[in-house]
Amino acid sequence: MRLCEWLEQIPWIVTITNSAVLISLVWLVHYLGFFLLVGTTVVVDLRILGAAARNQKLAPLAGLLFPFAWTGLGLVIASGFIMFAGQATTFYPTAVFRIKMGMVLLALVFGVIVQRKSPVWDGAPTVPTAAKWLAFASLALWIGAILAGLEVAAFIPGI
Amino acid sequence: MHTWLVGICDRLQNIRLVVWLVTAQYAYPFIQWTHFTGLSLWLGTTLALDFRLLGAGKRFQTAAQLSDALFSWNWLGLGIAVLGGFTLFATAAVGYIDNPAFRLKLGVLLPLALTWHIFVQQKSRTWGRTPETPAVAKLAGLMEIVLWVSVAAAAVWIPNY
Repeated sequence: MRLCEWLEQIPWIVTITNSAVLISLVWLVHYLGFFLLVGTTVVVDLRILGAAARNQKLAPLAGLLFPFAWTGLGLVIASGFIMFAGQATTFYPTAVFRIKMGMVLLALVFGVIVQRKSPVWDGAPTVPTAAKWLAFASLALWIGAILAGLEVAAFIPGI
Repeated sequence: MHTWLVGICDRLQNIRLVVWLVTAQYAYPFIQWTHFTGLSLWLGTTLALDFRLLGAGKRFQTAAQLSDALFSWNWLGLGIAVLGGFTLFATAAVGYIDNPAFRLKLGVLLPLALTWHIFVQQKSRTWGRTPETPAVAKLAGLMEIVLWVSVAAAAVWIPNY
C-alpha cells in the first residue's frame, strides 16, 4: 500500500492523470493494445479448436500472429501501468481488479504454452485434446478478462 | 431533420429493455463487454493483416493466406461490435447524436475506415500472393492502421464532451 501511495505521487504520473488529453491517449493505447493481443490470440485458439482457418496449418498462423499479440501486450502493460499508478491505492484493494490480473496472467501463461507447442501439435495427425482444452481456457480467460476490466472501470469512480 | 432524429433517439432511449440496462446494477459493463469483445476480434484481425501487408512476419505466411484465415472471424467481430455499439448508443442516444466526437466517429471516420478496410481486404489477395508485398500494399496497410487509430481516438474522446 505504501508503494501504491508512492506511485500515485510520481510527478509524471500525476501530470498524465490530471491531463484529459494525456490520459485519453493512455486509454487509447490500452484499448488498441488489448484489441491486438486478444484478437490475435483468440484466432489461434479458434484454429486449435477447429473453428477458424481449418484449411491452414496451425504453426505458421501461430508463428505469424503471436509476435503481434506480444506487441499488443507491450502496449497494454505500458499503458496499464500508468492507469494503475495514477489511482494505485484505489485499484490495489479492489477485488475485481485482482481477479482481472489473475485471469490475464493465467491467459498469458497459456499463450506462451500454445506458442511453444504449436509446431509439435501441427506435426501430429490430430490436435491433442489437451491442446483444445488449453485453447478453450485461453479463449474463456480473455473474454472474462475484458469483462473484469470493464467491471473495474465501473467500480472505480472517476475513470 | 434534427428534431426528427432527436425524436427517434428519445424513443430508442426509452424502450423498456434499454431503460432496464441503464438502471440495473452490473448490466452496463456487459453491453460494453459485447462491444469490446467484438472490437478485439475485429481490430485484432484487421490490424494483424495491416502489419503483414507492411511486411511483418513474412517468413510464416503470405498476406493472402492470412487474409483468408482471418476473413470470417474478422467480420463476425464487426457484427458483435456493432451489436454492442448500437446498444451502447441506445442507452444515451439523445446525448450521443449531439456529441461532436461521436459525430466525427460515426459520420466521418468509421465509414472511411470501413470502406478502406473492404478495399484492402479485397486487394490483399493480389498484393499478398508473394511473401514480399508491393509498396502500394504497405502504404494501404499503414493508412488503414491510421484510420482505425483515429476511429478509436474519437471514441475515447466521447466522454470528454
